[in-house]
Amino acid sequence: MSLSDAFGAGRFAITSEVGPPKGTNVAEMLATAEMLRGRVDALNVTDNQAAVMRLSTLAACVHLKNAGFDPVLQVTCRDRNRLALQSDLLGAASFGITNVLALTGDHVSVGDHPSARAVFDLESVQLLEVIRLLNAGADAAGKELHGSPEFLVGAVVTPEARPLRPQMAKFGKKVSAGASFFQTQAVYDSESFKRFMEYAHQFDVKVMVGVVVLRSAGMARFMNKNIPGILVPDPIIAALESSSDPQATGIELTARFVDEVRDYCDGVHIMAVGAEHLVPAVLDAAGLTEGCIA
Amino acid sequence: MIVVRQKPLDEICAMIAGHRRVLLVGCNTCAAVSLAGGETEVDTLLQLLRLTNKRHGTFCELTPAVLQRQCEPEYIDCLQEGDYDAVLSLGCGAGVALLASTVGKPVYPALDTLFIGSAKGLARWQAECSACGQCVLGMTAGICPITRCAKGILNGPCGGVSDGTCELGDRPCAWVEIYERLDSLGCAENFDTILAPKDNTTRQICEWDMSEGCDEK
Amino acid sequence: MAITHTGRSIQDDNRDGRLFAPCRARCPVHVDVPGYLAAIAEGRFMDALEIILARNPLPSVCGRVCLRPCEDGCRRCLLDEPVAIAALKRAAADIGVYPAPRLARPIPGRIAIVGGGPAGLTAAHDLAALGLSVSIYEDKPRLGGMLRYGIPNYRLPDYALDRDIEYVLAHGIEAHTGVRIGRDVTIEELSAQYDAVLVTVGLQDSRALPIPGADKPRVLKALPFLEACANGESMDLGARVVVIGGGNVAMDVARAARRHHADQVRVVCLESRDTMPAAAHEIHDAEMEGITVHCSWGPREITGEDMVEGLRAVRCERVFDLERRFAPVFDEETVKEFAADTIIFAIGQGADIDELGLPVTPRNSIKVDPVDLKTSVAGVYAAGDIINGPTKIIDAIASGHRAAASIFRDLTGQGDTLESLDQESAVLGKVPDTMAAKVETRRRIQMEQLEHWDALHNFDEVELGYTEFEASREAQRCLSCTTGARLAVEKCASCLTCTRVCPHGAACINMGGYLYFEIEACHACGACVSQCPAQAINLETVSEEDLSRRVQRKLADRGMDTSLVFSCGHVPDTLLEAGPDFRAVQVSCLLRVSERSVFEALEEGASRIVFTRCTEGDCRFPHAQDLVNRRIHHIRKMLSEAQMSEAFLVTAAPDEDSETGVTTP
Repeated sequence: MSLSDAFGAGRFAITSEVGPPKGTNVAEMLATAEMLRGRVDALNVTDNQAAVMRLSTLAACVHLKNAGFDPVLQVTCRDRNRLALQSDLLGAASFGITNVLALTGDHVSVGDHPSARAVFDLESVQLLEVIRLLNAGADAAGKELHGSPEFLVGAVVTPEARPLRPQMAKFGKKVSAGASFFQTQAVYDSESFKRFMEYAHQFDVKVMVGVVVLRSAGMARFMNKNIPGILVPDPIIAALESSSDPQATGIELTARFVDEVRDYCDGVHIMAVGAEHLVPAVLDAAGLTEGCIA
Repeated sequence: MIVVRQKPLDEICAMIAGHRRVLLVGCNTCAAVSLAGGETEVDTLLQLLRLTNKRHGTFCELTPAVLQRQCEPEYIDCLQEGDYDAVLSLGCGAGVALLASTVGKPVYPALDTLFIGSAKGLARWQAECSACGQCVLGMTAGICPITRCAKGILNGPCGGVSDGTCELGDRPCAWVEIYERLDSLGCAENFDTILAPKDNTTRQICEWDMSEGCDEK
Repeated sequence: MAITHTGRSIQDDNRDGRLFAPCRARCPVHVDVPGYLAAIAEGRFMDALEIILARNPLPSVCGRVCLRPCEDGCRRCLLDEPVAIAALKRAAADIGVYPAPRLARPIPGRIAIVGGGPAGLTAAHDLAALGLSVSIYEDKPRLGGMLRYGIPNYRLPDYALDRDIEYVLAHGIEAHTGVRIGRDVTIEELSAQYDAVLVTVGLQDSRALPIPGADKPRVLKALPFLEACANGESMDLGARVVVIGGGNVAMDVARAARRHHADQVRVVCLESRDTMPAAAHEIHDAEMEGITVHCSWGPREITGEDMVEGLRAVRCERVFDLERRFAPVFDEETVKEFAADTIIFAIGQGADIDELGLPVTPRNSIKVDPVDLKTSVAGVYAAGDIINGPTKIIDAIASGHRAAASIFRDLTGQGDTLESLDQESAVLGKVPDTMAAKVETRRRIQMEQLEHWDALHNFDEVELGYTEFEASREAQRCLSCTTGARLAVEKCASCLTCTRVCPHGAACINMGGYLYFEIEACHACGACVSQCPAQAINLETVSEEDLSRRVQRKLADRGMDTSLVFSCGHVPDTLLEAGPDFRAVQVSCLLRVSERSVFEALEEGASRIVFTRCTEGDCRFPHAQDLVNRRIHHIRKMLSEAQMSEAFLVTAAPDEDSETGVTTP
């Protein structure tokens, strides 16, 4: 199983994500990954997600790689300047890590070290260009590399950003800068996602729709209020509210959504946010049981 | 101009504690315009320090002065020779630095220097420029992404924008504003140009001599 | 005085005091009206009195009976009503304490002043203050002239007049009363004894008409009648009195007659209602006392056998001809009989001039040079009504100033200070529309008066004067014309804060980028002054240094726990009762109290500073509320950083309608 195999085979790709621990004990992270073994093509590994300091994403990727998973190295620009970013990328490649997701990253002031200096020497678009250079055998200063990576380069996009137009323009820039696949911010409105895909189809890129499994109406409201670019429609909140088993309803709604949009995109990225054990159930419910067998 | 604001009082008191005669020096340029370092603010701080001293039973002779601009050596020459053993500057960092290199006595900052900004009505200012030494305003419809975007992004809004507001919540998203203004100016295509990573060498310029190279024969 | 439009800045016009507020310009002695109103607005009645006395030695008199040309010029006239300038002058004289006279070092020179009326008293005051030795010769038993013997006590009681006279005499002036020129001493004799003689005898001859019956008993003349009133003589006028005349004296006579138990008092005059010379408010006051005014009647005969039975008059169709000369035209067919028991002529005064032995004009005035007021007799000067004919009291005072200046110059060869304000000055134009739209409309505060019914039983003063609070509130209506913001350009940091806080757009930027103040749009609210970081803006009438001195005086004998209250109006009783030692300093707006002033007062030893805020309806400068809020916030923040939060308190002034207590932050 690997993400590039899935894309290469034209298969509906499936990814999920795991977060590195705050500390050195990686057992739990590996146990979580284990729940997903055989059900996903690759696992994203977050990079000090939400600006909260954790074990390095590179180290976590190596652990997962050694355990037989195909990790997607998330790289943010918040904590490292262009030297550190490149050297970490080269390091990752040297461990056989082939998938990179380039992000700008959340600002330090939203995390647990708010007084830290935010670096942002590069940002996502520029990072994509740097990765393209690395893939081509040179660094950002134009110096030749002894051995170069062959990254499958991804980026993110928010299909329901408000306002939308600048986000779409930036999507185009990311494509120009070398992104070959996109994972989207979580989407709940299939019609709105289809409209986005009509726009995205002009570019020769793979798009994986992002989903977050809702477990309660409260969670949906919280996300509406606090997570930029996420818009849970009222009927979904109402359905969760009236359900006697909101978690089951959440799984069912996610599955139905994936089913509705799977013909319009190239894969799904399931963000379980601490409930990875539900991912197999979602995939079962969506009928995504074939293909990605380890 | 340079926007400044006064430090908390206890920080100021801690700096000048132990000095018996302190000269308070205001600056009638940016610091006055920032309503933090003019004659009024010098007098007010002086009076508050006096009151604090009286309350704590400490003694310190405080003398007020205001310079037209603290970052000019000739203006600093206007300071009267006085019997003081420390200086409390109500100027920006540049003023403090030049005073400190000139007066031969300890100089302490009473203000924090915030940014280069513009006025937004009464007693409000907005950061406009980070003095990066490599201006991109021509590409960004006059809105500085280095300054106004929390992350200094050069290529469009990040995913943190929410209804046009920055993920920090304290400002509008600079890139949404840039995009809209470029659009209204009919220059939306500017947006599609990928701006390369900043050349940060200009940030290291620590002295600028306009006549540099003039004596080359 | 040239009335010019000024679109110019204070710097151009007002540094040297050459730009006057219209009230000040219209006052014949140019009292600094905005200056004393500003002082009263802050409860500084003594300061106000001193400002008035600098130009007018008779404030208690003028505060009551001046015909107040100043109020006609008040720039509030177009907004609502003029400020009660005269009444506030009275408040300064009633509430303030007269200062000790400021006397120059004595210099040689003795002056005799003949006549102790307003012109004579003024000249005596000026000359004595300059160090000369002055003696007043007065025919009547007491000083005051027409002020005492011509104006009834219900308008100008003796105590009010005596207060001014005492102040004038305190300058070391000798007064010889009961001395009649021509009988007891002559001008010639005085000339021989003194270095200069000033004649200010006024108009002592009361005119009557030579109509049939005018020689009957109970046909009286105004001045003897009023003098008898002043002397407290009781008179039987009968029930019906007719007063002939249309001027202010006729009104005084009519009202005095009412107080002598005449039930029916009628004023009969030649002029139409529109052209009557009496001031409108004087006519109004007379009518309020039940007096009826009958216009356009020309007296023809006083009827009756032995005693007066009435006045026969004919319709007067026109008083003046086309060239404004007195040439009445009558319709002899239209006749009216006014039944009367007493008839009093109040048709004007003339000079009783023969005994003076001085050259006269064809109009029976003493002949003088209009500039230096010298008569043709060396060393003899004349001033007041005796040279000008009947004029206002304030004109007589102006004339007295002029004579004093002239005498002083002739005797010493120096000094033009007294006259300097007569020089040509510019006058501030009307309130710009933009400003008018933003100034709160506020009616004049009505002074308490005796009920008309009560007033008619005696000669007690009718108008009772303002209380301190009323006076301050009324003075706060003043737009403070010409005393507004002035900029010290060399200190200006060009921060533009003033342009941002000025509600009327008075702080402007010129083409060169420099700031200036549009003086016509400024009403001295002081918002800009309070926010200026460079201390580059000042108001003429208030300064931080003055405030600081007032605070020091208040705290001079402070106790262990003294609170200092800054208020722009009422200090709530609840507050004054709350603590053992509360002292109040009144300011016209809390914006005048800077952070520095607060800290200084605390350092001075106050244990607590209290801001008493006005209520919204009472606020003089509503736009300043936001700035006051900022100020309070800032003071709290700084004191909290100094761990002294408890030393600052903000309360609300009691509302007229509700009982507001102390509100702590």
